[in-house]
Amino acid sequence: MMNPTSIQQKLRNFILHELIFVADPESFGDHNDLLLAGLDSMAIMRLIIFIENEFGVTLPDSEIEPDNVRSLFALEHWIAGHQEK
Amino acid sequence: MRPHPEAIIRILNPADYFTLAIDEEIRKEGMPGSVCGFALELKGRPDSNQLGDRIDDFCRNFPVSRGKLQKIGRRYFWCKRQQPEKVFFLHECSDRQDVIDEFHSTILRVINRMEPRETVHPIEFHLFPGTAKSILLVRWIHPFCDAVGVELVLKYLAADPPPVENECNKPQVSLVNQKISRFTLWRKFGLILKTKNWIEQIDQFQSILPAGQSSPPQRLNFKVFRLDLAQSRKITETSRQQVGLTGTSLYYIGCLMRAIDRMKTRSTGEAYCVPYAFNLRKQKALTPVTGNHVGALFAQAPVETVQDRARLFKHLTSQYRRTIRDELDYAFLPLMWAAQWMSLERVGKTLRQSYRNGKERSSFWFSDAGQSDLAGRDLCGAPVRGVFHLAQVTTPPGLALLTCVFENRLTLSYNFVEPLYDLDWILGLHQQVLPELLGER
Repeated sequence: MMNPTSIQQKLRNFILHELIFVADPESFGDHNDLLLAGLDSMAIMRLIIFIENEFGVTLPDSEIEPDNVRSLFALEHWIAGHQEK
Repeated sequence: MRPHPEAIIRILNPADYFTLAIDEEIRKEGMPGSVCGFALELKGRPDSNQLGDRIDDFCRNFPVSRGKLQKIGRRYFWCKRQQPEKVFFLHECSDRQDVIDEFHSTILRVINRMEPRETVHPIEFHLFPGTAKSILLVRWIHPFCDAVGVELVLKYLAADPPPVENECNKPQVSLVNQKISRFTLWRKFGLILKTKNWIEQIDQFQSILPAGQSSPPQRLNFKVFRLDLAQSRKITETSRQQVGLTGTSLYYIGCLMRAIDRMKTRSTGEAYCVPYAFNLRKQKALTPVTGNHVGALFAQAPVETVQDRARLFKHLTSQYRRTIRDELDYAFLPLMWAAQWMSLERVGKTLRQSYRNGKERSSFWFSDAGQSDLAGRDLCGAPVRGVFHLAQVTTPPGLALLTCVFENRLTLSYNFVEPLYDLDWILGLHQQVLPELLGER
Protein backbone atom coordinates (compact mmCIF):
# COMPACT_ATOMS: atom_id res chain seq x y z
CA MET A 1 0.00 0.00 0.00
CA MET A 2 1.24 3.47 -0.89
CA ASN A 3 1.87 5.76 2.08
CA PRO A 4 -0.60 8.60 2.58
CA THR A 5 1.98 11.35 2.09
CA SER A 6 2.85 10.00 -1.34
CA ILE A 7 -0.86 9.81 -2.27
CA GLN A 8 -1.38 13.37 -1.19
CA GLN A 9 1.67 14.64 -3.09
CA LYS A 10 0.52 12.95 -6.30
CA LEU A 11 -3.00 14.31 -5.85
CA ARG A 12 -1.66 17.78 -5.16
CA ASN A 13 0.55 17.71 -8.26
CA PHE A 14 -2.25 16.52 -10.51
CA ILE A 15 -4.93 18.86 -9.18
CA LEU A 16 -2.79 21.99 -9.06
CA HIS A 17 -0.92 21.31 -12.32
CA GLU A 18 -3.80 20.03 -14.43
CA LEU A 19 -7.15 21.02 -12.99
CA ILE A 20 -7.28 24.24 -11.01
CA PHE A 21 -5.28 27.44 -10.91
CA VAL A 22 -4.04 28.56 -7.53
CA ALA A 23 -1.92 31.71 -7.41
CA ASP A 24 0.32 30.35 -4.64
CA PRO A 25 0.27 26.52 -4.74
CA GLU A 26 2.68 26.26 -1.78
CA SER A 27 0.16 27.91 0.50
CA PHE A 28 -2.74 25.71 -0.64
CA GLY A 29 -3.49 23.63 2.44
CA ASP A 30 -4.60 20.01 2.66
CA HIS A 31 -7.92 21.13 4.12
CA ASN A 32 -8.57 23.97 1.65
CA ASP A 33 -11.90 23.66 -0.22
CA LEU A 34 -11.22 22.27 -3.70
CA LEU A 35 -14.80 22.87 -4.83
CA LEU A 36 -14.56 26.54 -3.96
CA ALA A 37 -11.17 26.64 -5.64
CA GLY A 38 -12.85 25.64 -8.92
CA LEU A 39 -12.99 21.84 -9.09
CA ASP A 40 -16.05 21.41 -11.35
CA SER A 41 -17.93 18.32 -12.55
CA MET A 42 -15.64 17.64 -15.53
CA ALA A 43 -12.51 18.13 -13.43
CA ILE A 44 -13.87 15.72 -10.82
CA MET A 45 -14.36 13.06 -13.50
CA ARG A 46 -10.77 13.55 -14.70
CA LEU A 47 -9.60 13.33 -11.10
CA ILE A 48 -11.51 10.07 -10.50
CA ILE A 49 -10.01 8.47 -13.61
CA PHE A 50 -6.54 9.69 -12.53
CA ILE A 51 -7.00 8.18 -9.06
CA GLU A 52 -8.24 4.86 -10.45
CA ASN A 53 -5.31 4.59 -12.86
CA GLU A 54 -2.65 5.88 -10.49
CA PHE A 55 -3.61 4.13 -7.26
CA GLY A 56 -5.31 1.01 -8.63
CA VAL A 57 -8.58 1.50 -6.78
CA THR A 58 -12.16 1.54 -8.04
CA LEU A 59 -14.23 4.37 -6.64
CA PRO A 60 -17.97 3.63 -6.82
CA ASP A 61 -20.15 6.30 -8.45
CA SER A 62 -22.36 6.33 -5.36
CA GLU A 63 -19.43 7.63 -3.30
CA ILE A 64 -18.56 10.54 -5.60
CA GLU A 65 -19.94 13.10 -3.18
CA PRO A 66 -18.82 16.60 -2.19
CA ASP A 67 -17.54 15.39 1.19
CA ASN A 68 -15.16 12.93 -0.46
CA VAL A 69 -13.67 15.38 -2.94
CA ARG A 70 -13.77 18.59 -0.93
CA SER A 71 -10.09 18.66 0.07
CA LEU A 72 -6.79 16.88 -0.49
CA PHE A 73 -7.20 15.44 3.00
CA ALA A 74 -10.69 14.06 2.24
CA LEU A 75 -9.51 12.59 -1.06
CA GLU A 76 -6.55 10.90 0.56
CA HIS A 77 -8.80 9.26 3.17
CA TRP A 78 -11.32 8.19 0.56
CA ILE A 79 -8.58 6.51 -1.49
CA ALA A 80 -6.93 4.94 1.53
CA GLY A 81 -10.27 3.45 2.56
CA HIS A 82 -10.51 1.65 -0.76
CA GLN A 83 -6.88 0.52 -0.79
CA GLU A 84 -7.45 -1.30 2.46
CA LYS A 85 -10.41 -3.26 1.06
CA MET B 1 -1.80 41.78 -51.54
CA ARG B 2 0.44 40.22 -48.91
CA PRO B 3 0.72 42.26 -45.70
CA HIS B 4 4.09 43.44 -44.46
CA PRO B 5 5.48 40.83 -42.00
CA GLU B 6 5.33 43.44 -39.24
CA ALA B 7 1.57 43.65 -39.72
CA ILE B 8 1.16 40.08 -38.49
CA ILE B 9 0.22 39.86 -34.83
CA ARG B 10 -0.04 36.09 -34.64
CA ILE B 11 -1.19 32.94 -36.40
CA LEU B 12 -4.47 31.24 -35.49
CA ASN B 13 -4.01 28.30 -33.15
CA PRO B 14 -5.56 24.87 -34.01
CA ALA B 15 -8.70 25.51 -31.91
CA ASP B 16 -9.10 28.99 -33.46
CA TYR B 17 -8.97 27.39 -36.90
CA PHE B 18 -11.56 24.85 -35.84
CA THR B 19 -13.94 27.67 -34.89
CA LEU B 20 -13.09 29.46 -38.15
CA ALA B 21 -14.37 26.39 -40.02
CA ILE B 22 -17.67 26.80 -38.16
CA ASP B 23 -17.61 30.51 -39.06
CA GLU B 24 -17.35 29.47 -42.70
CA GLU B 25 -20.24 27.00 -42.35
CA ILE B 26 -22.51 29.67 -40.84
CA ARG B 27 -21.50 32.25 -43.46
CA LYS B 28 -22.28 29.77 -46.24
CA GLU B 29 -25.86 29.77 -44.97
CA GLY B 30 -26.11 33.56 -45.40
CA MET B 31 -25.70 34.23 -41.67
CA PRO B 32 -23.08 36.45 -39.94
CA GLY B 33 -20.58 33.72 -39.04
CA SER B 34 -19.40 32.47 -35.68
CA VAL B 35 -20.53 35.57 -33.80
CA CYS B 36 -21.16 35.20 -30.07
CA GLY B 37 -22.43 37.38 -27.26
CA PHE B 38 -21.72 37.56 -23.54
CA ALA B 39 -24.13 39.90 -21.78
CA LEU B 40 -23.68 41.39 -18.33
CA GLU B 41 -26.81 42.66 -16.64
CA LEU B 42 -25.90 45.57 -14.41
CA LYS B 43 -27.70 47.36 -11.60
CA GLY B 44 -27.83 51.07 -12.38
CA ARG B 45 -25.64 52.78 -14.90
CA PRO B 46 -21.88 52.24 -15.15
CA ASP B 47 -19.56 55.20 -15.66
CA SER B 48 -19.29 55.00 -19.46
CA ASN B 49 -16.16 57.21 -19.61
CA GLN B 50 -14.36 54.99 -17.13
CA LEU B 51 -15.56 51.90 -19.01
CA GLY B 52 -14.29 53.37 -22.29
CA ASP B 53 -10.88 53.96 -20.69
CA ARG B 54 -10.76 50.39 -19.38
CA ILE B 55 -11.64 49.05 -22.83
CA ASP B 56 -8.88 51.18 -24.41
CA ASP B 57 -6.46 49.85 -21.83
CA PHE B 58 -7.53 46.28 -22.57
CA CYS B 59 -7.09 46.80 -26.33
CA ARG B 60 -3.60 48.25 -25.79
CA ASN B 61 -2.56 45.23 -23.73
CA PHE B 62 -4.15 42.71 -26.11
CA PRO B 63 -3.47 44.05 -29.65
CA VAL B 64 -5.31 41.14 -31.32
CA SER B 65 -8.53 42.73 -30.05
CA ARG B 66 -8.05 45.53 -32.60
CA GLY B 67 -6.73 43.29 -35.36
CA LYS B 68 -8.34 41.74 -38.41
CA LEU B 69 -8.34 38.27 -39.90
CA GLN B 70 -6.28 37.73 -43.01
CA LYS B 71 -5.52 34.68 -45.11
CA ILE B 72 -1.88 34.51 -46.14
CA GLY B 73 -1.13 31.56 -48.38
CA ARG B 74 -3.16 28.71 -46.92
CA ARG B 75 -3.05 29.90 -43.30
CA TYR B 76 -5.01 32.52 -41.37
CA PHE B 77 -3.40 35.25 -39.27
CA TRP B 78 -4.42 38.10 -37.01
CA CYS B 79 -3.00 41.26 -38.58
CA LYS B 80 -2.88 44.90 -37.58
CA ARG B 81 -5.37 47.36 -39.08
CA GLN B 82 -4.19 50.51 -40.81
CA GLN B 83 -6.19 52.59 -38.34
CA PRO B 84 -7.49 51.35 -34.97
CA GLU B 85 -11.28 51.47 -35.08
CA LYS B 86 -13.93 52.16 -32.46
CA VAL B 87 -14.92 49.03 -30.52
CA PHE B 88 -17.05 50.61 -27.75
CA PHE B 89 -20.61 51.61 -28.64
CA LEU B 90 -23.20 53.39 -26.51
CA HIS B 91 -26.85 52.67 -27.43
CA GLU B 92 -30.01 54.71 -26.93
CA CYS B 93 -32.34 53.43 -24.22
CA SER B 94 -35.43 54.08 -22.16
CA ASP B 95 -36.21 52.80 -18.69
CA ARG B 96 -38.64 49.93 -18.81
CA GLN B 97 -38.59 47.24 -16.18
CA ASP B 98 -37.26 44.20 -18.03
CA VAL B 99 -33.92 45.18 -19.43
CA ILE B 100 -33.49 42.07 -21.62
CA ASP B 101 -36.89 42.56 -23.32
CA GLU B 102 -36.26 46.30 -23.62
CA PHE B 103 -32.99 45.83 -25.43
CA HIS B 104 -33.95 42.60 -27.20
CA SER B 105 -34.33 44.07 -30.69
CA THR B 106 -31.10 46.09 -30.43
CA ILE B 107 -29.19 43.07 -29.15
CA LEU B 108 -30.57 41.10 -32.11
CA ARG B 109 -29.35 43.78 -34.51
CA VAL B 110 -25.87 43.65 -32.95
CA ILE B 111 -25.62 39.87 -32.95
CA ASN B 112 -27.06 39.47 -36.46
CA ARG B 113 -24.98 42.19 -38.13
CA MET B 114 -23.31 40.85 -41.28
CA GLU B 115 -19.73 41.82 -42.04
CA PRO B 116 -17.01 40.33 -44.23
CA ARG B 117 -14.60 38.11 -42.32
CA GLU B 118 -11.67 40.33 -43.32
CA THR B 119 -13.10 43.49 -41.72
CA VAL B 120 -15.14 42.24 -38.75
CA HIS B 121 -13.90 43.38 -35.32
CA PRO B 122 -12.62 40.52 -33.19
CA ILE B 123 -14.42 41.98 -30.18
CA GLU B 124 -16.86 44.85 -29.58
CA PHE B 125 -18.43 46.27 -26.43
CA HIS B 126 -22.04 47.53 -26.56
CA LEU B 127 -23.43 49.38 -23.57
CA PHE B 128 -27.21 49.73 -23.20
CA PRO B 129 -27.46 52.11 -20.24
CA GLY B 130 -30.61 52.60 -18.17
CA THR B 131 -31.11 54.36 -14.84
CA ALA B 132 -32.27 51.23 -13.03
CA LYS B 133 -30.60 48.56 -15.15
CA SER B 134 -28.06 48.41 -17.94
CA ILE B 135 -26.59 45.73 -20.17
CA LEU B 136 -23.04 45.43 -21.41
CA LEU B 137 -23.02 43.11 -24.41
CA VAL B 138 -19.68 41.81 -25.60
CA ARG B 139 -19.91 40.69 -29.22
CA TRP B 140 -16.99 38.65 -30.47
CA ILE B 141 -16.10 36.30 -33.28
CA HIS B 142 -15.07 32.88 -32.17
CA PRO B 143 -11.60 32.67 -33.63
CA PHE B 144 -10.67 35.58 -31.33
CA CYS B 145 -11.43 33.75 -28.08
CA ASP B 146 -13.82 31.37 -26.35
CA ALA B 147 -16.52 32.15 -23.75
CA VAL B 148 -14.14 31.59 -20.82
CA GLY B 149 -11.78 34.10 -22.43
CA VAL B 150 -14.55 36.71 -22.62
CA GLU B 151 -15.29 36.19 -18.94
CA LEU B 152 -11.59 36.91 -18.33
CA VAL B 153 -11.88 40.07 -20.45
CA LEU B 154 -14.82 41.17 -18.32
CA LYS B 155 -12.89 40.43 -15.13
CA TYR B 156 -10.08 42.55 -16.57
CA LEU B 157 -12.51 45.43 -17.17
CA ALA B 158 -14.06 45.04 -13.71
CA ALA B 159 -10.75 44.78 -11.83
CA ASP B 160 -10.30 47.50 -9.26
CA PRO B 161 -7.63 48.84 -9.36
CA PRO B 162 -7.13 48.21 -13.11
CA PRO B 163 -4.58 45.46 -13.77
CA VAL B 164 -1.14 46.67 -14.75
CA GLU B 165 1.36 43.83 -14.75
CA ASN B 166 -0.53 40.75 -13.72
CA GLU B 167 -1.33 37.29 -15.03
CA CYS B 168 -3.46 38.75 -17.85
CA ASN B 169 -0.44 40.33 -19.48
CA LYS B 170 1.47 37.07 -19.81
CA PRO B 171 1.98 35.66 -23.34
CA GLN B 172 -1.18 34.04 -24.73
CA VAL B 173 0.06 30.49 -25.32
CA SER B 174 -2.15 27.96 -27.07
CA LEU B 175 -3.16 25.26 -24.61
CA VAL B 176 -4.07 22.94 -27.50
CA ASN B 177 -0.54 23.29 -28.92
CA GLN B 178 0.90 22.86 -25.44
CA LYS B 179 -1.06 19.65 -24.91
CA ILE B 180 -0.24 18.29 -28.38
CA SER B 181 3.46 19.02 -27.91
CA ARG B 182 3.46 16.46 -25.10
CA PHE B 183 2.29 13.73 -27.52
CA THR B 184 4.78 11.71 -29.57
CA LEU B 185 4.14 11.48 -33.31
CA TRP B 186 2.86 7.91 -32.90
CA ARG B 187 0.54 8.96 -30.12
CA LYS B 188 -0.84 11.70 -32.39
CA PHE B 189 -1.54 9.15 -35.12
CA GLY B 190 -3.04 6.78 -32.55
CA LEU B 191 -5.37 9.48 -31.28
CA ILE B 192 -6.42 10.50 -34.80
CA LEU B 193 -7.31 6.84 -35.44
CA LYS B 194 -9.19 6.72 -32.14
CA THR B 195 -11.19 9.84 -33.13
CA LYS B 196 -12.00 8.32 -36.51
CA ASN B 197 -13.27 5.10 -34.91
CA TRP B 198 -15.24 7.02 -32.34
CA ILE B 199 -16.93 9.22 -34.97
CA GLU B 200 -17.73 6.14 -37.06
CA GLN B 201 -19.35 4.62 -34.00
CA ILE B 202 -21.45 7.77 -33.46
CA ASP B 203 -22.38 7.81 -37.14
CA GLN B 204 -23.95 4.36 -36.91
CA PHE B 205 -27.06 6.22 -35.83
CA GLN B 206 -28.77 8.88 -37.93
CA SER B 207 -29.14 12.03 -35.84
CA ILE B 208 -32.56 13.45 -35.02
CA LEU B 209 -33.21 17.14 -35.65
CA PRO B 210 -35.68 18.97 -33.38
CA ALA B 211 -37.89 20.40 -36.14
CA GLY B 212 -38.32 20.66 -39.90
CA GLN B 213 -35.36 22.27 -41.67
CA SER B 214 -36.87 23.21 -45.04
CA SER B 215 -36.73 27.04 -44.81
CA PRO B 216 -33.45 28.93 -45.25
CA PRO B 217 -32.12 30.62 -42.10
CA GLN B 218 -32.87 34.35 -41.71
CA ARG B 219 -31.73 35.49 -38.27
CA LEU B 220 -30.73 34.33 -34.81
CA ASN B 221 -33.20 34.99 -32.00
CA PHE B 222 -32.95 34.17 -28.31
CA LYS B 223 -34.95 33.76 -25.15
CA VAL B 224 -33.42 33.86 -21.68
CA PHE B 225 -34.94 32.24 -18.59
CA ARG B 226 -33.43 32.81 -15.15
CA LEU B 227 -34.76 30.23 -12.73
CA ASP B 228 -35.37 31.20 -9.12
CA LEU B 229 -33.27 30.00 -6.19
CA ALA B 230 -35.71 27.27 -5.10
CA GLN B 231 -35.96 25.84 -8.63
CA SER B 232 -32.19 26.01 -9.12
CA ARG B 233 -31.56 24.26 -5.79
CA LYS B 234 -34.07 21.53 -6.69
CA ILE B 235 -32.37 21.04 -10.07
CA THR B 236 -28.95 20.70 -8.40
CA GLU B 237 -30.34 18.10 -5.97
CA THR B 238 -32.12 16.13 -8.71
CA SER B 239 -29.08 16.28 -10.97
CA ARG B 240 -26.87 14.93 -8.13
CA GLN B 241 -29.30 12.02 -7.65
CA GLN B 242 -29.52 11.21 -11.36
CA VAL B 243 -25.98 11.74 -12.64
CA GLY B 244 -23.88 12.38 -9.53
CA LEU B 245 -21.37 15.11 -8.96
CA THR B 246 -19.61 14.59 -12.28
CA GLY B 247 -22.45 14.93 -14.78
CA THR B 248 -24.16 18.31 -14.31
CA SER B 249 -23.77 19.30 -17.98
CA LEU B 250 -24.98 15.86 -19.07
CA TYR B 251 -28.08 16.33 -16.95
CA TYR B 252 -29.00 19.51 -18.84
CA ILE B 253 -28.28 17.79 -22.17
CA GLY B 254 -30.41 14.76 -21.24
CA CYS B 255 -33.31 16.94 -20.12
CA LEU B 256 -33.22 18.87 -23.39
CA MET B 257 -33.14 15.63 -25.42
CA ARG B 258 -36.24 14.41 -23.57
CA ALA B 259 -38.01 17.77 -23.91
CA ILE B 260 -37.41 17.86 -27.67
CA ASP B 261 -38.67 14.30 -27.96
CA ARG B 262 -41.88 15.35 -26.20
CA MET B 263 -42.39 18.22 -28.64
CA LYS B 264 -43.30 15.65 -31.35
CA THR B 265 -41.89 17.90 -34.07
CA ARG B 266 -38.64 16.04 -34.59
CA SER B 267 -37.29 14.65 -37.82
CA THR B 268 -36.94 10.95 -38.40
CA GLY B 269 -33.72 9.54 -37.06
CA GLU B 270 -32.35 7.10 -34.54
CA ALA B 271 -30.47 9.09 -31.91
CA TYR B 272 -29.88 12.51 -30.42
CA CYS B 273 -26.31 13.65 -30.85
CA VAL B 274 -24.98 16.76 -29.11
CA PRO B 275 -21.54 18.35 -29.52
CA TYR B 276 -20.14 20.25 -26.58
CA ALA B 277 -16.80 21.85 -25.84
CA PHE B 278 -14.59 21.48 -22.83
CA ASN B 279 -12.00 24.04 -21.83
CA LEU B 280 -8.33 23.22 -21.42
CA ARG B 281 -7.70 26.14 -19.07
CA LYS B 282 -7.30 25.24 -15.42
CA GLN B 283 -10.33 26.37 -13.44
CA LYS B 284 -9.94 29.96 -12.14
CA ALA B 285 -6.86 30.56 -14.31
CA LEU B 286 -6.44 34.19 -15.39
CA THR B 287 -4.66 33.39 -18.60
CA PRO B 288 -4.69 32.81 -21.55
CA VAL B 289 -7.33 35.46 -22.28
CA THR B 290 -7.39 35.46 -26.09
CA GLY B 291 -7.45 32.48 -28.44
CA ASN B 292 -9.55 29.32 -28.19
CA HIS B 293 -8.47 26.60 -25.79
CA VAL B 294 -11.13 23.97 -26.23
CA GLY B 295 -11.60 20.38 -27.24
CA ALA B 296 -14.82 18.81 -28.50
CA LEU B 297 -16.95 15.92 -27.26
CA PHE B 298 -20.25 14.33 -28.27
CA ALA B 299 -23.06 13.07 -26.09
CA GLN B 300 -25.30 10.65 -27.96
CA ALA B 301 -28.35 8.64 -26.97
CA PRO B 302 -30.65 6.43 -29.07
CA VAL B 303 -34.27 7.56 -29.04
CA GLU B 304 -35.50 4.50 -27.06
CA THR B 305 -32.99 5.34 -24.34
CA VAL B 306 -34.06 9.00 -24.32
CA GLN B 307 -37.63 7.95 -23.66
CA ASP B 308 -36.61 6.17 -20.43
CA ARG B 309 -35.32 8.83 -18.02
CA ALA B 310 -33.36 6.59 -15.65
CA ARG B 311 -31.83 4.64 -18.52
CA LEU B 312 -30.88 7.86 -20.33
CA PHE B 313 -28.88 9.33 -17.46
CA LYS B 314 -27.17 6.02 -16.76
CA HIS B 315 -26.27 5.80 -20.45
CA LEU B 316 -24.93 9.39 -20.66
CA THR B 317 -22.88 9.02 -17.48
CA SER B 318 -21.25 5.74 -18.52
CA GLN B 319 -20.62 7.12 -22.03
CA TYR B 320 -18.91 10.14 -20.47
CA ARG B 321 -16.84 8.03 -18.09
CA ARG B 322 -15.71 5.86 -21.01
CA THR B 323 -14.84 8.98 -22.99
CA ILE B 324 -12.54 10.29 -20.27
CA ARG B 325 -11.09 6.86 -19.48
CA ASP B 326 -10.26 6.19 -23.16
CA GLU B 327 -8.92 9.76 -23.55
CA LEU B 328 -11.42 10.47 -26.30
CA ASP B 329 -11.68 13.98 -24.91
CA TYR B 330 -8.08 14.59 -26.01
CA ALA B 331 -8.42 12.50 -29.16
CA PHE B 332 -9.77 15.46 -31.13
CA LEU B 333 -6.71 17.61 -30.44
CA PRO B 334 -4.31 16.03 -32.97
CA LEU B 335 -7.13 16.13 -35.52
CA MET B 336 -7.53 19.84 -34.83
CA TRP B 337 -3.79 20.26 -35.28
CA ALA B 338 -3.82 18.36 -38.60
CA ALA B 339 -6.92 20.26 -39.75
CA GLN B 340 -4.95 23.53 -39.90
CA TRP B 341 -3.59 22.40 -43.26
CA MET B 342 -7.03 21.46 -44.62
CA SER B 343 -9.50 23.83 -46.29
CA LEU B 344 -12.22 25.36 -44.10
CA GLU B 345 -14.85 23.55 -46.20
CA ARG B 346 -13.22 20.20 -45.59
CA VAL B 347 -12.92 20.77 -41.83
CA GLY B 348 -16.52 22.00 -41.66
CA LYS B 349 -17.76 18.92 -43.50
CA THR B 350 -15.74 16.60 -41.23
CA LEU B 351 -17.17 18.29 -38.16
CA ARG B 352 -20.78 18.36 -39.24
CA GLN B 353 -21.63 15.58 -41.64
CA SER B 354 -22.15 11.94 -40.81
CA TYR B 355 -19.60 9.66 -42.51
CA ARG B 356 -22.43 7.20 -43.09
CA ASN B 357 -25.06 9.28 -44.82
CA GLY B 358 -23.68 12.82 -45.21
CA LYS B 359 -26.45 14.25 -43.03
CA GLU B 360 -26.05 16.66 -40.13
CA ARG B 361 -24.53 15.00 -37.06
CA SER B 362 -25.64 17.52 -34.41
CA SER B 363 -29.19 17.49 -33.05
CA PHE B 364 -28.56 20.76 -31.20
CA TRP B 365 -25.61 22.67 -29.75
CA PHE B 366 -24.95 22.89 -26.06
CA SER B 367 -22.60 24.86 -23.86
CA ASP B 368 -22.42 25.05 -20.08
CA ALA B 369 -20.38 27.98 -18.75
CA GLY B 370 -20.87 26.72 -15.18
CA GLN B 371 -20.75 28.97 -12.12
CA SER B 372 -19.96 32.55 -13.12
CA ASP B 373 -17.10 34.23 -11.28
CA LEU B 374 -18.56 37.66 -12.05
CA ALA B 375 -21.06 37.45 -9.19
CA GLY B 376 -20.36 40.04 -6.52
CA ARG B 377 -18.27 42.20 -8.86
CA ASP B 378 -19.01 45.66 -10.06
CA LEU B 379 -18.27 47.22 -13.40
CA CYS B 380 -17.35 50.91 -13.29
CA GLY B 381 -19.79 51.60 -10.47
CA ALA B 382 -22.59 49.22 -11.53
CA PRO B 383 -22.92 45.89 -9.67
CA VAL B 384 -23.21 42.79 -11.89
CA ARG B 385 -26.63 41.20 -11.39
CA GLY B 386 -26.70 38.50 -14.07
CA VAL B 387 -25.11 37.07 -17.18
CA PHE B 388 -26.34 35.28 -20.28
CA HIS B 389 -24.76 33.99 -23.48
CA LEU B 390 -25.57 34.10 -27.18
CA ALA B 391 -24.15 32.16 -30.14
CA GLN B 392 -24.81 31.99 -33.85
CA VAL B 393 -25.37 28.36 -34.77
CA THR B 394 -25.18 26.38 -38.00
CA THR B 395 -28.41 25.37 -39.74
CA PRO B 396 -29.18 22.56 -39.26
CA PRO B 397 -29.61 22.20 -36.34
CA GLY B 398 -30.32 25.94 -35.82
CA LEU B 399 -30.80 25.49 -32.07
CA ALA B 400 -28.44 25.94 -29.11
CA LEU B 401 -28.90 25.88 -25.36
CA LEU B 402 -26.34 27.92 -23.39
CA THR B 403 -26.44 27.54 -19.63
CA CYS B 404 -24.67 29.17 -16.70
CA VAL B 405 -25.18 29.63 -12.98
CA PHE B 406 -25.07 33.10 -11.47
CA GLU B 407 -25.47 33.57 -7.71
CA ASN B 408 -26.75 29.99 -7.50
CA ARG B 409 -29.48 30.63 -10.07
CA LEU B 410 -29.53 28.64 -13.28
CA THR B 411 -29.81 30.69 -16.48
CA LEU B 412 -31.00 29.06 -19.70
CA SER B 413 -30.40 30.93 -22.94
CA TYR B 414 -32.19 29.36 -25.89
CA ASN B 415 -30.66 30.48 -29.19
CA PHE B 416 -32.67 29.64 -32.28
CA VAL B 417 -32.56 30.37 -35.98
CA GLU B 418 -35.73 31.83 -37.50
CA PRO B 419 -37.86 30.84 -39.33
CA LEU B 420 -36.90 27.24 -38.55
CA TYR B 421 -38.01 27.86 -34.98
CA ASP B 422 -40.14 30.67 -33.59
CA LEU B 423 -40.66 32.07 -30.12
CA ASP B 424 -43.84 30.03 -29.55
CA TRP B 425 -41.95 26.81 -30.27
CA ILE B 426 -39.19 27.84 -27.85
CA LEU B 427 -41.72 28.72 -25.14
CA GLY B 428 -43.31 25.31 -25.69
CA LEU B 429 -39.91 23.68 -25.48
CA HIS B 430 -39.10 25.45 -22.22
CA GLN B 431 -42.42 24.21 -20.81
CA GLN B 432 -41.12 20.71 -21.46
CA VAL B 433 -37.55 21.38 -20.29
CA LEU B 434 -38.47 22.81 -16.89
CA PRO B 435 -40.31 19.76 -15.45
CA GLU B 436 -37.54 17.56 -16.83
CA LEU B 437 -34.89 19.61 -15.01
CA LEU B 438 -36.96 19.66 -11.82
CA GLY B 439 -37.32 15.87 -11.97
CA GLU B 440 -41.11 16.05 -12.15
CA ARG B 441 -41.35 13.41 -14.92
